[in-house]
Amino acid sequence: MDEPAGGSVPPLTIDGHWAFDYQYFAGAAASRFFAGLAARRIMGSRCPQCARVLVPARAFCDACFVETTDWVQVSPHGTLETFTILTTSFPGLPEPPLVVGYVALEGASTAVLNFVDGIDLTDPDAAGARLLQRPRVTARFRDSCQGRITDFVFTLDEPA
Amino acid sequence: MRPVYLHGSAVSSTWRGASRSLTDLIFDCVSSALRQAGVTAADLGAVVLAAHDLVDGRGLTSMVTAPAAATYLKDETRLGDDGALAFVLGDARVRSGSVGTCLVAAWGRASEGPVDEIAHALFDPFTARPLALTEIAVSGLRAARCLGDYPGYGRWRDEAAARRGPRPADPARTPATAWPLRGGELPVWADLVAAAVLSSSPGQVRVAGVGMSTEPYDLGDRDLTGLPALRAASAQALTAAGVDAAEVDVLELDGLTLFDEALAAEAVGAAARGEGMTILASGDRVNPDGGYAAGYCAPAMGLVRIARAASRLRDGQGRDGQGRDGRVALATGSSVVAAQVQAAVVLERTHATQDADGRQTTQDMQDAEGA
Amino acid sequence: MTGPAELAIIGVGQTPSRRRHEGSTPELVHAAVGEALRHSGLGMADIDLVIGGFAPDALAGENCPDKRFLPAAGAVGKWSMRVNTGGTTGIAAAYAAMDLLEAGHGDAAVVVGVERMAQARSVPAVFNSIFDPIYERDTGLSTVSMAALRASRMMQRWGYTAELWARVAERNFKHATSNPLAQIRTAYTAAEVLTSRMLAWPIRQLDACPISEGVCAVVIARTAAAGSRPAAVVRGRATVTDTYNMGDRIGRREGDLVELLTLRLAAERALGQAGLGSAAGADVVEIHAPFDHAETMAYAPLRFCAAAEGPALVATGFGQRDGGGPVLNPSGGPQAANPVGATALIRLAECALQVMGDAGQRQVPGAATAVATGQGGSTQFSTCTVLSRN
Repeated sequence: MDEPAGGSVPPLTIDGHWAFDYQYFAGAAASRFFAGLAARRIMGSRCPQCARVLVPARAFCDACFVETTDWVQVSPHGTLETFTILTTSFPGLPEPPLVVGYVALEGASTAVLNFVDGIDLTDPDAAGARLLQRPRVTARFRDSCQGRITDFVFTLDEPA
Repeated sequence: MRPVYLHGSAVSSTWRGASRSLTDLIFDCVSSALRQAGVTAADLGAVVLAAHDLVDGRGLTSMVTAPAAATYLKDETRLGDDGALAFVLGDARVRSGSVGTCLVAAWGRASEGPVDEIAHALFDPFTARPLALTEIAVSGLRAARCLGDYPGYGRWRDEAAARRGPRPADPARTPATAWPLRGGELPVWADLVAAAVLSSSPGQVRVAGVGMSTEPYDLGDRDLTGLPALRAASAQALTAAGVDAAEVDVLELDGLTLFDEALAAEAVGAAARGEGMTILASGDRVNPDGGYAAGYCAPAMGLVRIARAASRLRDGQGRDGQGRDGRVALATGSSVVAAQVQAAVVLERTHATQDADGRQTTQDMQDAEGA
Repeated sequence: MTGPAELAIIGVGQTPSRRRHEGSTPELVHAAVGEALRHSGLGMADIDLVIGGFAPDALAGENCPDKRFLPAAGAVGKWSMRVNTGGTTGIAAAYAAMDLLEAGHGDAAVVVGVERMAQARSVPAVFNSIFDPIYERDTGLSTVSMAALRASRMMQRWGYTAELWARVAERNFKHATSNPLAQIRTAYTAAEVLTSRMLAWPIRQLDACPISEGVCAVVIARTAAAGSRPAAVVRGRATVTDTYNMGDRIGRREGDLVELLTLRLAAERALGQAGLGSAAGADVVEIHAPFDHAETMAYAPLRFCAAAEGPALVATGFGQRDGGGPVLNPSGGPQAANPVGATALIRLAECALQVMGDAGQRQVPGAATAVATGQGGSTQFSTCTVLSRN
């Protein structure tokens, strides 16, 4: 079906700019989790019903719909369960190419998302084939923490 | 069709509670509604949500917030529209028999984002945004017309506003005004969550009728003080419930400002044309919790009003906000863009009582056959 | 889906999908809705409900764009509401209309799904904003990279390869050449897919959907309203929502991330209501998958095969026209056009056109039963709908 008839007037465009600033409340659970990162600990919270250890720690288990109870420290060691190699540039973020992936840390029932550093990406397909093997990784904490998930980063146990 | 009962509801109105994330607030309120209804998340057959991406500052908010509303592996949907509309949709799901128990939840956390800037972006980028329109500005246009047309509005506005109680000191909670609106007539921004549980098993509060209607987008095409969509919506709901406007004991009317509530009172037939402000000044029949001044954030408000109405019926509150055995409530909710869509819900108290365990049982019903 | 009313899609209207439309949204909506009404044989006076879908607001640069365009769909004086569930918006809007009709609130509804993305200059930033601001946004995730995380896992688990997925894309592009409404109507080959620009490993440009604008409108009514005209009767429908966190689904006992549990559950319900053991029993299946790998993720939930047999199934050329089984995406699917707020409704609309015999050049001869899926969020929202001729 065709566009409505436009006539002879050139179509107009107007520039617009959206820049809404938000300040998100992380809440007590996330605040405590980020404090844990500053102390070089990755914390999970346990659901009293299904016994899963949820990482990053949360206030409630959505599957059982109950509040979590115990907080446990999980290992910084784990397995890279899935990944991708990013190519898009974002203001405020490191320049691509970047590897981001989900890691199942020992002691955690859920996988956690973060960057994976130190991988040679000159041949992305070769890097991809290597990372598909579910390599072992370890979380490395940054020297200065800002209360963000990027206060730690994963590195491969064996260089790729 | 099945009858629909509102079994439990909850409202939370807070401000900048730093220990609670948005999902924490939703989880708390939904948990509270479930508890009051005596059901668990596992009992829910469906969930209907109402939330706005820009209010939440999350590009597809229900993706990250729905889990906090007991939606895990559930039949869930989300309206980018007022909570009263979500309630009507949830009611429909139970009424048709396709779902046994349905949770409805709505929220808006004004303290996380720039409310007026977000509201500004609702208006037409070519004809209205350059004129700095916001929702408050349209309320100002309505209020000016009221003062010009109805002597009662000017006469009674101060008394009506005084009934709304003291306002919080934090200036961030009161929007910039638009003449002729004064401080006490403006909404108090809040972090709001509302939730209600509907099911076809009998309970204390029955959904007796619903209605809805839509106005044009362009403000110049609208009757700004006549609120035709609300007029139509409430007439539909009252007809479906088989009651007259005069029989309504409990009124919970959504309005962004004092003047919007006054006009709403006229549109639902609780006051004659031009007398809306008079009725707000003369008692606590409309929004005794303070209405716009008790905490406001779109798109939670229609469900907040419905939950307040249900609560007042359960408590036996009557016409003057006191215990006087109120039987029929009318609650309304309005969408963004200056109430372009309006929904109305009529609730009726059945003769249900609580048994010894606090669970609700029904002794006899108002009507043998539901709607 | 219970209740006394049997419902059907009795009219369809669509604008072409394009990278950029020149008209205003109300104009496009008005045109699509007008076409749907003419197709249905009803007039605006017969319509009681107008349900709109749009996602996400930021891409149009308008907060709640539905309020501006729903009047052009006839909403003034009627019931109207706007649904927003990300990728499933269009079908969720149709389901809302069906829910309201089943409760007796009217006899006929107009449902319109809309996308205007060309007005945005910073699309990836908008798609980053959908992720959890507290734990995930700082990793720069976007819809493509989120999908790539799932593609990698499918390669690892089941041995899928870029080559196999390129064949799926090739089939979709070939089908799209018969659809005048599709945005991409070039018959790209698998080789061209494999050499297109890398977006997020392993997803390349031609593995992914284009950025599209478009409007789709359907008229839904009680089947009796169709009279002797062809109609697409809704035989089954279901929607299921999963947890948001993809990490919570990795290694999850009930169903791993890439097993697409919610589509399995939704398909079970919808197919069960329709009396179908598998979607392979349908003549046409329109799969809402913005990526070729995502299409194959739907195969096991739709019971075409077990998950591990997916690669072998792709290798047989499954889904081709004249292939002997169901035709997958005779419209070309989302790879050829994916206006986000409309796409899940387009899947439904294309299925309706097929069983009504009104699919023109892309008609699958004799199509009597069709299945449409919907996907949204972090593969979190899944829908399945079964239609068949009245």
